[in-house]
Amino acid sequence: MNNAALLPIAPEVILLAGALIVILLLVLLDRPYREGGIVAMAALAAAAVASVLQWQALGDGADNLYFSAQGVPVPRLPMVVMDHYSAFAGVVIFVVSMLGLAVAWRLVLTLGARSAEFLTLVLLAVAGLHMMTASANMIMLFIGLETASIALYVLAGFTRERANADEAAVKYFLLGSLASVVFVYGAALLFAATGSTAFYGAGSMREFLAENIVAEPAILLLAMGLVIVGMSFKVTAAPFHQWAPDVYQGAPSGIVGLMAAGVKIAGFAALGRILFSALPSQIDDWAPALAIIAGASMIIGTVLAAVQDDVKRILAYSGVAHAGYILMAFVAGNEGIGSMWFYVTTYALTVIGVFAVVAVVSGSRSGSSPLAEWSGLSSRAPVLAWVMLIMLLALAGIPFTTGFVAKVTVFTAATDAGYLWLMILALVTTIVGLYVYFRLAAVMFLEGPAGVEEVVVPPTTALVLAVAAVTTVLLGLLPWPLLDLAREALPL
Amino acid sequence: MIDYLWVLIVLPLLGAAALIVFGKRIGDPWSGRLASALVGTAFLIAAGFTVPLVTGNGHPETVELFSWIPVLGVEVSLLWDPLAALMTLIVTGVGFLIHVYAVGYMHGDERFGRFFGYMNLFIASMLTLVLASNFVVMFVGWELVGLSSYLLISFWFVRPAASAAGKKAFIVNRIGDWGFLVALLLIFAAFGTFEFAAVFAEAPTGLTTGMATAITLLLFLGAVGKSAQIPLYVWLPDAMEGPTPVSALIHAATMVTAGIYMIARTAVLFGLAPATLTVVATVGAATALFAATLAMGQRDIKRVLAYSTISQLGYMVMAVGVTAFTAGMFHLMTHAFFKALLFLGAGAVIHAVAGEQDMSRMGGLRKVMPITFWTMVVAWLAIAGVAPLSGFWSKDEILAAAFAHGGYFVFLWAIGVVAALLTAFYMTRLMILTFGGEERWPDGVEASEAPPILTVPLVILAVLSATAGIFNTPFRLGLEHFLEPSFEGVTQQLPPAGATVVALAALALVVALVGIFWGWARYSRRLPVEEGGFWGAAVEGYRVDDWYGRLVVAPGKAMATWAAEILDGRIIDGVVNGVGGGVKSFGNSLSGTQSGLVRWYGAVMAAGTLGLLLWLLLSGGLF
Repeated sequence: MNNAALLPIAPEVILLAGALIVILLLVLLDRPYREGGIVAMAALAAAAVASVLQWQALGDGADNLYFSAQGVPVPRLPMVVMDHYSAFAGVVIFVVSMLGLAVAWRLVLTLGARSAEFLTLVLLAVAGLHMMTASANMIMLFIGLETASIALYVLAGFTRERANADEAAVKYFLLGSLASVVFVYGAALLFAATGSTAFYGAGSMREFLAENIVAEPAILLLAMGLVIVGMSFKVTAAPFHQWAPDVYQGAPSGIVGLMAAGVKIAGFAALGRILFSALPSQIDDWAPALAIIAGASMIIGTVLAAVQDDVKRILAYSGVAHAGYILMAFVAGNEGIGSMWFYVTTYALTVIGVFAVVAVVSGSRSGSSPLAEWSGLSSRAPVLAWVMLIMLLALAGIPFTTGFVAKVTVFTAATDAGYLWLMILALVTTIVGLYVYFRLAAVMFLEGPAGVEEVVVPPTTALVLAVAAVTTVLLGLLPWPLLDLAREALPL
Repeated sequence: MIDYLWVLIVLPLLGAAALIVFGKRIGDPWSGRLASALVGTAFLIAAGFTVPLVTGNGHPETVELFSWIPVLGVEVSLLWDPLAALMTLIVTGVGFLIHVYAVGYMHGDERFGRFFGYMNLFIASMLTLVLASNFVVMFVGWELVGLSSYLLISFWFVRPAASAAGKKAFIVNRIGDWGFLVALLLIFAAFGTFEFAAVFAEAPTGLTTGMATAITLLLFLGAVGKSAQIPLYVWLPDAMEGPTPVSALIHAATMVTAGIYMIARTAVLFGLAPATLTVVATVGAATALFAATLAMGQRDIKRVLAYSTISQLGYMVMAVGVTAFTAGMFHLMTHAFFKALLFLGAGAVIHAVAGEQDMSRMGGLRKVMPITFWTMVVAWLAIAGVAPLSGFWSKDEILAAAFAHGGYFVFLWAIGVVAALLTAFYMTRLMILTFGGEERWPDGVEASEAPPILTVPLVILAVLSATAGIFNTPFRLGLEHFLEPSFEGVTQQLPPAGATVVALAALALVVALVGIFWGWARYSRRLPVEEGGFWGAAVEGYRVDDWYGRLVVAPGKAMATWAAEILDGRIIDGVVNGVGGGVKSFGNSLSGTQSGLVRWYGAVMAAGTLGLLLWLLLSGGLF
């Protein structure tokens, strides 16, 4: 039974062990807040290393499917898959989470005894996120999704002293549950249509669809629609995005970056896993649906971002628009996977950096971040303002940043797949989007300073900002190393 | 070993980064010493790399560094062959001497560290240009030397003239750069690659004469800008606003020769386009003569040398135009020595007379500044073409090659001979006005010899100016032989053999001596009044700048004003503001959907889900 090997689930095991140690530390040591943080960081780093090892092991021709049993009375289908897709997702999720946790460092230290819960929840959320990308089965995917979601609901409301934090958490929970219900219903209908919950292996959805003509296409179509809706909620694609601005604004700034970036990576990866691996034969049905969602996201995200007066809300809507751009890569099917990875990865790095700046400007515990707090930032903290500008340029898709390369790759992917109208729409919203980002830049650079108090950048945040800014520019100039890796990161 | 070729570029690049950031903290004189040491080290490494090429054990090598734009097959790779080696040694060798000189010359300048940062940046950029193994990397270097040239011309940017000159140089060069860039596009269209080796291998069979002519004419336009040929030479005299070491290094010895280097590098392509070659040779000869007449009338010592540089560049362009590529590179080398020496000597003189550049207020410096004087004598005789100094051999080889090319080119040869006569004349004029006669210094100036840090580079350059001719005499074609691997598959025009070459050399020598005698007769006893007529016109550069201003700059400005005020101000801004307003009002009306109520959000989600499902079923044809 070598299919129950440890390596495929090593990242999850490491993260769970880390979460347990963090809780134990609270019992064993006096005020172990900093130590807990270090343990959590180390667990994330070890998980990233494990993912790298997975990638290398794959080069040696390792098996891909695990935790299945054939030939027993009730055949169990594979539960976990280890391929370049999951390994790449692992490295990106864990590295981004480390950066996100570094931004939250100061928040962790101010939480006192509750820091252990906080760190545990972060580790569990990250483990769930990665589980979503490494599952070979609808059931595993859903378990990962719920593990991550429930942890994130709690994190969203973690600063309980603010009423809007509670409101955000409850809102997120209620709407998230609704999305989960929709997703599960979709999974059930998929089972009904194909007789399987697995993506791979004998008797899986893929095999069934490849070998049979579906007698009841309506069920399959409804199933796909519901699954897509469930995932669209997670990645804040319109019109399933409405929770995002309220939740981002209510959740503590220190952790929003991790929430936004991590869920996007895992959500897109999981959606890709289902569509590319289990339902590749149905691309003619799901690709147009995704194109519509993509178009709606771009329009709604961009237009609503233009009229917000709170930076966190601007970024939430900007995230809606970016979800639309990333979905453009999906309509190209397998050809778009490399573009999707490149966009998701660079966007996640930029988002972590942007929310790090938000946490500095408005405080890591605070919820809202009104534009007025940003006015004249360039004279109060010039370096911070410039770093923010670099990342705004990346979000806007200006050349010499990753945002430009990412946009070009998804635009070409969509055009090559025959979705010219989507590309033109994306061009238009990108141009309108310039207004969104330059509006914030203008507030930072052209208006008078909002206050005189010094802007303090904690060292961990400074490190994150340096990483985010350097990668944004460097990978914008020399994108090929990452692009090559991204194009290799294909699902089984 | 050769894998580490990139070190040559990285060393000065690191120096540039360090000095631009920390220049102020490192200060005077250590930033200068650091910069000089880095360039000197680069020279030694380059010399080491050159040894196998000289001994004949080496062969041209391409060093691939990394892939830059894989879609277009653009690699960042370097090429080490005799042509690149020669150029690298000139750039780092002469560059090192000028760096050392500048440590003394720039002493006390407020932005001393930054100056050396820019100088190192220039060396790194120039080496990128020289060592490139494909057109794209060469273009990057080409643009970067333009940038460092701009930064250094306007180094004293508080002087309006300096910042104006910097802008002028940059803008005029843009015209040439445009030509280069379009040539690049044509090359890619024709060959599908930018690599020199692949392009040159395919060109003889795969290129039509028309395409070859178009490509080479555009490349030549680039060279005309960078190497200050008619009609784009106007930026170079103004570039003298930069500190004198900059004039010596960039605007005499190295950067301005990039055009000649580029033509020599792409000799294969030029060989396929006889029409272009005729244009090249004609422009070169015309520039050589035209600039020489302008040099005759200048009063500012640096402007004499600037026009002289343009004229000498004309000779080099003429050389490559008659396919005497080796002769062109040979003159490039000797000119680097003696023109750098002339500029550095002029710098020493200007320092001695408290910043005065007008030669009519110099004079009598021979006794006060013996070392400067005698080293400049060597340079003077070299550029005038007196045997056996270096300039004699290299200029004579160009003229002989033009003569041997025959037909129409004999006419160009004659122009070159006249220009040589004028060269000997104006250089004699410069020497006598500066060093001979009475002292006409400004009041209160106590001129004295320059310190050793200035004179030692002068002496070394003087030795090189005197002896560099031995590298390539008609008796021993050393350089010809050395450069052979770089000009493989290129038909070169060689100087004629036997009695003809001796007769031509003798004629050239006589012309040089006549020119010197003419200058001597005119200036040795008294200072003639040089006003009005030819002299007045020459001082003003024949008012070419005025004409350019009226014909090109004024319409350009009018168009820019129109674009700024009408096109951008009303039409584009109007559209943008309209769209922005539209987006905002659309957004505001959508904002109503964001009520904050969970039941409403849930309803929207449900509606969206139903809508999507309906659409899926409809498009699936199930309704």
